[in-house]
Amino acid sequence: MMALAFVLSPLLILALGALLLMLAEALTPKQNRAAGLALGATIVFVAGFAFSVGAWLYGVEDVAERELLAPWLVIDRFTIFFDGLFCLGGALAALLAGGYLREHGLERGEFYGLLIFSTIGGMMVAAAGDALMVFIGLETMSIGAYALTAFRRTSPRSAEGALKYFLLGSFAAAILLYGFALLYGATGHTDLVGIGNAIRAGGQHQTMILVALVLVLVGLVFKVSAVPFHMWAPDAYEGAPTPATTYMAAVVKCGAFAMLLRVLLTCFSDQGLMSWAAGWPPVLAWIAVLTMTVANLIAGQQESVKRMLAYSSIAHAGYLLVGVVATIHSMGTATASVLFYLLTYTVSTAGAFGALILCGRKGAEAVSYEDLAGIGRRHPAAALAFSLFLVSLAGIPPTAGFFGKWFIFRAAIDAGFYALTIIAFFNSVIAAYYYLRVLVFMYMREPAAGAPIATPMRSGYVATALVVSAILVIALGVVPSLPLDVAVEASEKTFAAPGG
Amino acid sequence: MTALGQAYFYVCATLALAGALGVVVAKNPIRGAMGLLLMILSIAGLFLALNAQFLAAIQLIVYAGAIVVLFLFVIMLLGPSAKTPSDNRGRVPRTIGAVVFAAVGLGAMGLLVRTAPKTPEGAKALVEVTNDFGSVDAFGRTLFTEGIVPFELSSALLMVAIIGAVAVARGRTKAEIALAKSPAEALRDVPVASPEGAPRTPGGITREAHQ
Repeated sequence: MMALAFVLSPLLILALGALLLMLAEALTPKQNRAAGLALGATIVFVAGFAFSVGAWLYGVEDVAERELLAPWLVIDRFTIFFDGLFCLGGALAALLAGGYLREHGLERGEFYGLLIFSTIGGMMVAAAGDALMVFIGLETMSIGAYALTAFRRTSPRSAEGALKYFLLGSFAAAILLYGFALLYGATGHTDLVGIGNAIRAGGQHQTMILVALVLVLVGLVFKVSAVPFHMWAPDAYEGAPTPATTYMAAVVKCGAFAMLLRVLLTCFSDQGLMSWAAGWPPVLAWIAVLTMTVANLIAGQQESVKRMLAYSSIAHAGYLLVGVVATIHSMGTATASVLFYLLTYTVSTAGAFGALILCGRKGAEAVSYEDLAGIGRRHPAAALAFSLFLVSLAGIPPTAGFFGKWFIFRAAIDAGFYALTIIAFFNSVIAAYYYLRVLVFMYMREPAAGAPIATPMRSGYVATALVVSAILVIALGVVPSLPLDVAVEASEKTFAAPGG
Repeated sequence: MTALGQAYFYVCATLALAGALGVVVAKNPIRGAMGLLLMILSIAGLFLALNAQFLAAIQLIVYAGAIVVLFLFVIMLLGPSAKTPSDNRGRVPRTIGAVVFAAVGLGAMGLLVRTAPKTPEGAKALVEVTNDFGSVDAFGRTLFTEGIVPFELSSALLMVAIIGAVAVARGRTKAEIALAKSPAEALRDVPVASPEGAPRTPGGITREAHQ
């Protein structure tokens, strides 16, 4: 029983920590409220991360008590990897919130409760072995994200983004549920393994399974905000307070990809469905091409850096989908490339949003390109951090983003998708344009005469988050072998079955 | 089915139809809500006849107890005499909607008539639902034995919904009130209407200076 508690500990630690934090907030005097909550939330996330590492080293394969959770929760290396990743993203978001919320007068303790419980939802999604658990986890994660988007209540833009996100997200969840209902009708199973086996065994309900596959794909692809289901993302990302945007871009997106990989590779890994001739890979490949191209073209036109980063996050979903499509050739390696990309993307994007937070202060949030003009001369440290994360997002060595893209492209080439790889490559060239444009503004432009000048805020929390992400970005770019080995082990021990 | 059972079915079904008709026809929103309530109660009655006591109870608690009451709250907030301005806009989509719904409804009825067993032997081919299927007892047993893991984890779902409701609906803090009054915030956050696809005007420091 202890072993079971240990492999489940990241989730349990987060739940316990969130409850304690809320209790602590309720019991502290009003003027001190929310003061130490960011620190508390960060400690909870770091503890969750430490326990994920512990569970990884302990090994989950020999824990026989895992059967008690079956078929609802599957605790394997894949799950533990995502537990750690969520905790990392959550810790960075909590640190950024500690600086941002105080600076902008939004400091209320609910933010951290939402952050942690939403992360628990992500962990449930990653561990889900049953359609019911997928849905409960997805809703837990999404409802937290909806509320975080609406957190800045004085702002119509925040309300607009939250409402769009909420309505479209609910529709997508309903469509996903329809898909699962049809799968249950066709196979008689709600557990993912059972559905997968029933589909592999074949049967008379082929049409129904195809319709279900389409509905499930729509629901999944909506959650990863791929084109043409991306409409909500820019408004929600722009309206949300920036730490919430960080959280959505990092943790919620990773959760969505965990769900996508788990559902597709467990339920639809049948030879027929997982092939280029008929099934989901060509559909997903087209979606990947559309996502990368459309998002990159629109991102280049933005005047708001925050909105540009939102489109960039959509474009990254496109690159990741290329990796997902490559699973039809070698399930383990391609999945590992997706996991590694998610790790590099999490630290880079959290750092980029964090640097944007750092460049503004109370009543003067840096949002547009002009706001950043000349900041490289006036505040070199902030500009340097921002540049590092943008270079990583663009995929230029020696940063994390380079190896992330490298492994995805290699997986796609191994699978024989040359056209797809070339399109992805040209897209990363387009993307470099708008990332480097920020650098141009920071270092080569001066603010217009008479325009107010952005001054970076001072916050130990934000600085800590940036330093941690910067170290990780460089470390992943210089010595990617250890995290890559972890990603490979997480994928190959979980999806060992040869696909396609 | 006994004669009494049949009579019970027809009473419930008639009431449900009358309620549904009331929702569509009533001009007064309160009457419409009451029609919905009548329909929900009658459907709960039909569930009872099918041995699905749990579903009947949930139907009452969730739909009658929560959703209709919420409708009534909203109607009361707007005032019972609130009317939508009667105009002719949207007549075409409304007609299309009505036609599509009618087609789906008639199609479902047709399917039912076609596939329904015509003879007593055919009826036997359908799986007989045992008496305890859907009962509160059976449901509780499943929920607390087989389904204990999702049951426990859905507490996190409820928790995040509660915190989210508090975060969105709680009274404004002093800092937020000050923020709402500051002209910079007001300017920054007015979403600027822009043509489809065009980049939106960002907020931020520079734009405030232009205003």
